[in-house]
Amino acid sequence: MIICSRFDYRVWKQYSRQALILAFVLLIAVLIPGVGMIRNGSQSWIGVGSLSFQPSEWMKMALVFYLAAALSERKKTIHLFWKGLFLPIVVIGAAFGLIMLQPDLGTAAVMGGTALILLFSAGAPIHFFVTIGASAITGLVLLILSAPYRMKRITAYLDPWSDPLGSGFQIIQSLYAVGPGGLFGHGYGESRQKYYYLPEPQTDFIFAIWSEETGFIGAVWIILLFFLLIWRGVYIAMRLDDPFGMLLVFGLTGMICLQSFINLGVVTGLLPVTGVTLPFLSYGGSSLTMTLALAGIVLSASRHMR
Amino acid sequence: MRVRMFWILVLSFVAFSALIVRTGYIQLVNGGELTDKAEELWGRSIPAEPERGLILDRKGDILVGNKNAPTVYVIPAQIDDPKQAAEKLAAVLGEKESVLYERMTKRSSIERLSSKGRHLSAETARAVTDLQLKGVWVGEDSIRNYVLKDRLAHIIGFTGADNQGLAGIEAYYDKKLSGTLGSIQMYTDAKGNQMPGLANDYEAPVNGMDLQLTIDADIQAVMERELDQAEKTYKPDAAMSIAMDPNTGAILAMSSRPSYDPARFNEYDPDIYNRNLPVWSTFEPGSTFKIITLAAALEEKEVDLDQEHFFDPGHVEVNGTRLRCWKREGHGHQTFLEVVENSCNPGFVELGSRLGEKKLFTYIRKFGFGEKTGIDLYGEGSGILFTEQSAGPVEAATAAFGQGVAVTPIQQVAAVSAAVNGGILYEPFVAKSWTNPVTGKTEAVHKPKKVRQVISEETSKEVRRALESVVAKGTGRNAFVDGYRVGGKTGTAQKAKDGRYLENNHIVSFIGTAPANDPKVVIYTAIDNPKGTVQFGGTVAAPIVGKMMEDILPLLHVPKQMNQIEKEKTWNDPDLVSVPNLIGLSKEKLKEQLINIDIVIEGTGNTVASQSPKQGVKVERGSKVRVFLK
Repeated sequence: MIICSRFDYRVWKQYSRQALILAFVLLIAVLIPGVGMIRNGSQSWIGVGSLSFQPSEWMKMALVFYLAAALSERKKTIHLFWKGLFLPIVVIGAAFGLIMLQPDLGTAAVMGGTALILLFSAGAPIHFFVTIGASAITGLVLLILSAPYRMKRITAYLDPWSDPLGSGFQIIQSLYAVGPGGLFGHGYGESRQKYYYLPEPQTDFIFAIWSEETGFIGAVWIILLFFLLIWRGVYIAMRLDDPFGMLLVFGLTGMICLQSFINLGVVTGLLPVTGVTLPFLSYGGSSLTMTLALAGIVLSASRHMR
Repeated sequence: MRVRMFWILVLSFVAFSALIVRTGYIQLVNGGELTDKAEELWGRSIPAEPERGLILDRKGDILVGNKNAPTVYVIPAQIDDPKQAAEKLAAVLGEKESVLYERMTKRSSIERLSSKGRHLSAETARAVTDLQLKGVWVGEDSIRNYVLKDRLAHIIGFTGADNQGLAGIEAYYDKKLSGTLGSIQMYTDAKGNQMPGLANDYEAPVNGMDLQLTIDADIQAVMERELDQAEKTYKPDAAMSIAMDPNTGAILAMSSRPSYDPARFNEYDPDIYNRNLPVWSTFEPGSTFKIITLAAALEEKEVDLDQEHFFDPGHVEVNGTRLRCWKREGHGHQTFLEVVENSCNPGFVELGSRLGEKKLFTYIRKFGFGEKTGIDLYGEGSGILFTEQSAGPVEAATAAFGQGVAVTPIQQVAAVSAAVNGGILYEPFVAKSWTNPVTGKTEAVHKPKKVRQVISEETSKEVRRALESVVAKGTGRNAFVDGYRVGGKTGTAQKAKDGRYLENNHIVSFIGTAPANDPKVVIYTAIDNPKGTVQFGGTVAAPIVGKMMEDILPLLHVPKQMNQIEKEKTWNDPDLVSVPNLIGLSKEKLKEQLINIDIVIEGTGNTVASQSPKQGVKVERGSKVRVFLK
């Protein structure tokens, strides 16, 4: 974070294409059997043993760099399809498709959502989003039909108690952690659900344990912190003169916003289960490194505020 | 660009607000419900069985207690090596290894072992604990201790494998006796290990209330002794007896034969433990029912016992049907008091016809026949009466001397109690009071329940006089107890099967009360089909009740009285003389007293210091009286 904050954020504009190409290479590599590692049913890890990371994390960031650069260059032609939006959309679509091949719906959703936020704020015409929305719904239906486990997650989301030991298990266990927390929680370190009941208590479901231990007060505090972060990010973005900087900061902030919202939504049973980490809080190297790097970049950009 | 960014900021604000609302809903609104469910998930509770309430007699003697009988529980998740654990436990419990293995590997949070693993002796329980098997726990549990064995079994009843009341008082008052289940709650993680930082909860079981019965263990013992004797002598099909306080309806003793041991009830024929004969069996009462006719006729002033006379030729004609007296040649000329003493059927037909069928049946119903008495025991019968429409003069005539109606013993006891206690019909009851076992405070006392006033105190007094006279001079002579004013009535009823009377198969009964001036107890005894004897109530049942009276009245602190109606001698009655006062007499004077008794002299001296039996006691002519000289 500190390192990133020292760099001038504008270097990311120069290297954005290289970063994107590297990300694509890694994403393709991870799909090659023997190179990528399968964890929890997704082939999304690359590396040896504990020294491994998720290329999709890298891709999320690289895409933001690329889009910030590409869209700021196309500022004048953004309303035109072929000259303006075509290339970015192809890139977004390719990255999305590769991540879905792993498959990792959560990351893909965060990335896709971030891309949409960037396109929207860069000034893409509204009818474009209508088209995207329609095709997204169609695509979602197709995706669910292609992988039955997603359907299960949806039904589990609607009624977790219909299959408490199967598809509803994670949501129920998560609610068992959050619910008993009450107003003040059990106290720090006093979680019960973390003792093997709740899967992934230190990563995806960290917020469940947090609200179990600190209660409603602690949970609201965390949610407010995230909102404060977003508010500050948007504030920085708006105060920048450089369109690239604006889009970059806004995109990174939007990514953190989306990812945290999806994670918290899952934990509280508001959204169907998708494996997304909670920025800053979840345990996990590549996720944390990336998040901190993002924060660093935003900080470096903040030096150029008006 | 900035405008659009601002809208996205607004959108994210809405989204995060939704998160806060959702979290609040889960934690603050839904929290309790989720906590309960979660605790269910974490908890492994070992039930702590409450102690079932004791059952005591009216003086506080324990009739039913509890014995410690621990039970084994297994928590499959805590067992590392079920095969080895099952092997070790099987050896100690004497249970099949495969059965235990199956329980230990079951996908369940906690399993309570059954049969061989339930209700262990103290030694076996200690042996199980000594095995120190992980995941094998010994939980507190207890079983009933029926100290009286087959005595009073039908009243007390018994409990099943889960200490649930299945019969008798145990079933009738199961809820109050059983208390509430407690538990030892252990919090464990998903692997079944104890969870750190969360103490085990102990929710104490709430013990059942102690129940004090109206039963008097000593009176019960007398009753059982006499029935034992009767069973030995007559080898009857069945026998039953009730002793009740006529002034409250409190049952002092009740017995039903054949009986069973509640601890081993499943070894008996269900008919034995399901049928509490004194309240269940329904049969023709026979002559004991004449008390009801008598009471009704007296209350309606249809008869004067001393002034009116009746001639019994041995039979009576009613609407063309000839009804016979039990004495073939008839009782001839008699007063109505003698009609009662002789249990003369035509005499009672006369009383019945004076009342008319309508009034007679109204009294029969007012005395409680035809409906359950309401005693707090299961399995009560209500008896069979003619319906008002079908009851013609013949039916009224037979009912007047106890035939053609079917009643239960408890109905007779309640009705006769009403006839002698001043006219009030009480609801019989067995549960006297409830005591909290912890505080020792009595929390509920049963108050005697008056059903209705049936006859007046005046009439009741006449009934008592007539009944005492039956025992002193009539068919109830064998129930006579010297010094106690016993009144009563015999009954002999033919048993009917498939609509026909059986030959030489009777239920002989006697219902008695004492003392006649102020009844303290009503005792009913019926012997079903006694063998090797004349099947008459006066011969078989009356002496049994007489002996019961003799030993029960002192237990009720009823003093002996001198002014009883003297017993009329018959040819087979022993000749009784009253023991004179010998104390203070000199040795010479003693010899003059030797007319009726045989004096045995002990000690050396000239004056009599003490004698046995004491003065006034009636003994057979020629009995020995010991005197001690000084």
